[in-house]
Amino acid sequence: MDFVYSILIFIGLFVILASSFDLVIGHCGLISIAHPIFYAIGAYVSAMLSKQSGMPVPLSILCGGVGALLASALVSVPALRVSGDYLLIASIGFQLGLIELAKHFHEIGGAGGLTNIPSFLIKDFGRESYVVLVLALAGVTVLFIRWLTQGPYGRMMTAMRDDELAFSMLGRNAIWIKVAVFAIGSGIAGIAGGLYAHYFRFIEPDQFGLLQSSAVLTMVVVGGMRTTMGPVIGAIVLQLMPQVITFFNLPPSILGPLQGLLFTGLVLFFMFVRPQGLLPAADLWVGRKPLEGAGHSGKEARS
Amino acid sequence: MSSTLEIRGLCKSFGGIVVADSIDLDLSPGRVLGLIGPNGAGKTSLFNLVCGVVKPDAGSIRLDGQSLEGLPTYQRARMGLARTWQNLRLFPSLSVMDNLMLGPRVYSADRLVDVLFRPAQIRANEAEARDRARDILERTGLSPIAQSRVQDISFGQQKLVGVARALMNDARCLLLDEPMAGVEGQTYALIQKAVRDIAASGVAICVVEHNVAFIRDLCDEGVFMFAGKVLARGSVEQLIADPHLTELYFGT
Ligand SMILES: Nc1ncnc2c1ncn2[C@@H]1O[C@H](COP(=O)(O)OP(=O)(O)OP(=O)(O)O)[C@@H](O)[C@H]1O
Ligand SMILES: [Mg+2]
Repeated sequence: MDFVYSILIFIGLFVILASSFDLVIGHCGLISIAHPIFYAIGAYVSAMLSKQSGMPVPLSILCGGVGALLASALVSVPALRVSGDYLLIASIGFQLGLIELAKHFHEIGGAGGLTNIPSFLIKDFGRESYVVLVLALAGVTVLFIRWLTQGPYGRMMTAMRDDELAFSMLGRNAIWIKVAVFAIGSGIAGIAGGLYAHYFRFIEPDQFGLLQSSAVLTMVVVGGMRTTMGPVIGAIVLQLMPQVITFFNLPPSILGPLQGLLFTGLVLFFMFVRPQGLLPAADLWVGRKPLEGAGHSGKEARS
Repeated sequence: MSSTLEIRGLCKSFGGIVVADSIDLDLSPGRVLGLIGPNGAGKTSLFNLVCGVVKPDAGSIRLDGQSLEGLPTYQRARMGLARTWQNLRLFPSLSVMDNLMLGPRVYSADRLVDVLFRPAQIRANEAEARDRARDILERTGLSPIAQSRVQDISFGQQKLVGVARALMNDARCLLLDEPMAGVEGQTYALIQKAVRDIAASGVAICVVEHNVAFIRDLCDEGVFMFAGKVLARGSVEQLIADPHLTELYFGT
């Protein structure tokens, strides 16, 4: 049963990661693949706070989210002031640099990883309760991002993606919007990191590297960028597929490379055959109901 | 009378190409100034300099007496500067209505904290902007296509949407870059009327246009630009009657 719980937890966490990453790369158009480093920051901050100072876990997870949110500004503010293209390089540098740094920091476990992270809920209410918590938070995340992107902020991100110069000429500050969305997306990833740490109770720097980046990117691309359910489906498919492969009882020498090839193969396949992903995004942004006003003309255009 | 936009000694060159050669220019409230000149004269570049899209090599620009030096484009817009683009630059992923909704100087959701924690204020701002957009769409005859995608409407209508979007700013100074290029029929009259109405409300307007008839019908005054220089200023009639300018214009 633990095996099934683990898969469910992973699905929930990757739904959170993929959805928040889609907010950054899809909705806001910010090219960065360093999302997992904010997942890592959330995990480490929460683990250390609860382990060292005995902070209650829910609070430490929240602090992990805030930590990731603030850390994101360290990358985005200097990078985005230069140009949007700079973010990709700056964020990968930040990701790999921080991982190396963590490996040499013995206070946080070094390369061997951080062990004995306090658990949460499981002792009192069983593993099921934690599964429910993670899946519920995944649901909340998906709904929150849908709410944000279908509201006036989503309209603004859409226009900014379409034409940033015309957008600025209307009085909108593109840099600030990018910094803010990058921070929100990173903060959400940080919360997911805390949730991870207090379930598996062990984290190590290497698990938050480029492999993780490509996994999250694949989920968003395969599922469909800028859709509510795309990242959810992407996360589920990409979590389940490796499990399905293990059923074939292949020797480990084949199994390992096969799973690695899966991400690459899927991304290539989708880029060529179905670049819009399983769920294609609509090419016209439509806000949610109350935003559209009571005008009669609202409905006609949709048909 | 003090001018709304005051340009002094503005210079800019790209490599060897001089697009602004110590330009002095004033736009007055309520007046429509036509900017005439051949292709490559530097008309669009002048707009880009005023809007902060391109940084000047020298010179000063003031809007209502305030210097615009070093300010980013979005701040100039918030001070009451609005423009349209020669190549439209509408937002293709948004409906006509939503293109306009982004136009107010202060947008409902400029600040993410407000979006998250002050939903009532956002709703009020949205409602206000929507009323304003409806009003402008009505005046420009775009109401029937308010919910259409901008790719699905005629080119003339797209130009009109560009003007309408700029109007959302409630600007002090409005720069129109070839609003009539490719426009014919009733849209012509609609744009004319829209621009006259805005000027009547005290806005300073500058129109770049190759359509001489349009400029003559619309503008209080004209300026002739050539190779980054303002060569003449006067009534549009005078300018187009000047054989020297006509020669420069047609490059004969
Ligand atoms: N960003 C830029 N970099 C280099 N050269 C530029 C740039 N912008 C404009 N130019 C050059 O400056 C000159 C003036 O261009 P501009 O667009 O201002 O002319 P214009 O008067 O608007 O002409 P048109 O009537 O064709 O629109 C042209 O030769 C153009 O190639
Ligand atoms: Mg031009």
